[in-house]
Amino acid sequence: MQKAELNLTSTAYNSQLIEGLKCNDEQSLQSLYQSNYAKVEALILKNNGTRDHAKDIYQEAFIVVWKNVKDKKFIPQNETALHGYLYTISKNKWMDYLRSKHYKKTVVTSKLNHFELSDVDHEKKDDDIIKENRLEGIMAAFKTMGSPCKELLTTFYFEKKSLRDIADELQIEENTARNKKYRCMEKLRELVLASKS
Amino acid sequence: MNTNNNITQELLETVERYYNHTMTADERIMFEKKLQQDDEFKTLVEDIKSLILGIETQTLKEKLDAFHNDMPIQLHAEKASSKARFFNIRKIAAAVVILIAISCFWWINGSSNDRLYNKFFSPDPGLPTTMSRSDNFEFFDAMVNYKKGDYKLAITKWGKLQEKEPDNDTINYFLGVANLADNNTNEAISFLQKTALRPESVFHNDAEYYLGLAHLKNNNRQEAIKFLKLSNTETSKKLLEKLD
Repeated sequence: MQKAELNLTSTAYNSQLIEGLKCNDEQSLQSLYQSNYAKVEALILKNNGTRDHAKDIYQEAFIVVWKNVKDKKFIPQNETALHGYLYTISKNKWMDYLRSKHYKKTVVTSKLNHFELSDVDHEKKDDDIIKENRLEGIMAAFKTMGSPCKELLTTFYFEKKSLRDIADELQIEENTARNKKYRCMEKLRELVLASKS
Repeated sequence: MNTNNNITQELLETVERYYNHTMTADERIMFEKKLQQDDEFKTLVEDIKSLILGIETQTLKEKLDAFHNDMPIQLHAEKASSKARFFNIRKIAAAVVILIAISCFWWINGSSNDRLYNKFFSPDPGLPTTMSRSDNFEFFDAMVNYKKGDYKLAITKWGKLQEKEPDNDTINYFLGVANLADNNTNEAISFLQKTALRPESVFHNDAEYYLGLAHLKNNNRQEAIKFLKLSNTETSKKLLEKLD
C-alpha cells in the first residue's frame, strides 16, 4: 500500500519535470540543466576536452533533448530516463567531435577509429544541415532584434503567455498586442531574408 | 524561405493554433489536407514553424548561459580545484624530471673528487650524551645539537668553549667535523689540523681522515692523499684506493 503511494508521488514529480520541459518552465529547465552538467563535464575532461568544450557540447545536447521531448521524438518514461538521455546525447556529441575533421587536424597522432559515413547517412545529413542552417539564421536574426519585439516574441512564443496577459502587462489593448506580435514576426522574417542575400 | 509570399496575420495565427494543438478536429483535418495538396502553402507553414522554433531555441540558448553561470559555486570550485590539482601534479612531475636530468648531468660531469667526498663523508657519530653527565654540561649540550644535525648551533656553542680552551683536541676535532658537515671547509681544516698535530689524541686518526676529506672537497687531491695516508683507519684506506 505504502509502496504504491510512493510510486504515485514519484511519478507525479517526474511528469512535473517533463511537462515543465515541454512548456519551457524556467525552473524545470534550470533543474535539468544543473543536475546533469557535472557528470558531462567529468566525462569530457577525462577524454581530452576542456571545460569550454564541456559547456558547448552540453548546451548543444541540452537543446537537442529539449527539442526531441517537445516534438515527442523522445518520450521519457521517467526522470531517470530523461537524465540518461541527456548524458547519452552529450557523450555522442563529444564522440562526434573527437572523430571530426577539425579535431583530427589538430590531433595528428589521434588513434581514434576511422569510420565512413554510408550514403544513406549522407543524404539524411544534408537535409539536416539545410534545416540546421536555416534555424541558425533565424536564431542569429532574432538575437539582433530590438528589445521591444524580442521581449514580446519571447513572452508569447517561449513563455507561452496569453495575448491578454501580455496586453495587460504592457497596458495596451489585446488587439494592439496581436498586431504588434504580427509586425514583429514580419520584421524577423525580413531580417532573416536580408541576411541571406 | 519564400520571398514572394507574405505571411498574413490569419495564416500566422492558424499555424500557432496548429503548433499549440488548439485547433478543433475539423479545422485540423482541413489544415492537414491543404498541407498535403498545396506545396506553396506547406512551405509557408514550414517557414512560420521555423521562425517560432528559432525564437524558442535562441531564448533557451540565452537562458542556458544564465543557468550555467548560476550553477552552485561548490560544483564549479570542486571541479576547478581538481583540475588545478591535476595541473599541479603535472607541474611537479615535470619539475622532478628536470631535477633528475640536471642532477644526472651534474653527477656525470661533476668532478670525481666531489663524488668521492659525497660518498665517503658522513659526520662523526659524536660522543654519547647521558642525562646524568654534569661535569661538562656545555660541551654535551652542544653535542646534542650536533647529533640532531643543528651544526650551526653546535659550532656557536663549541666555539665559545674553544676560546677558553684553544688546545682542547676534543673540541677542535668536533668543531672541525661540524664545520665540514656545515660546508665551511676552510674553517673545518683549521680546526682539524690542531687535533691532527697531536698524535697522542684519541681523535688523531679520525682528524687526519676528515682533513683528507676536507681537502678532497676543496679539489686538492695531493693534500687529501697526504692526510689520508697519515690516518690509519679502514675507510681512509678504501678512499685512498679510489684516489690512486
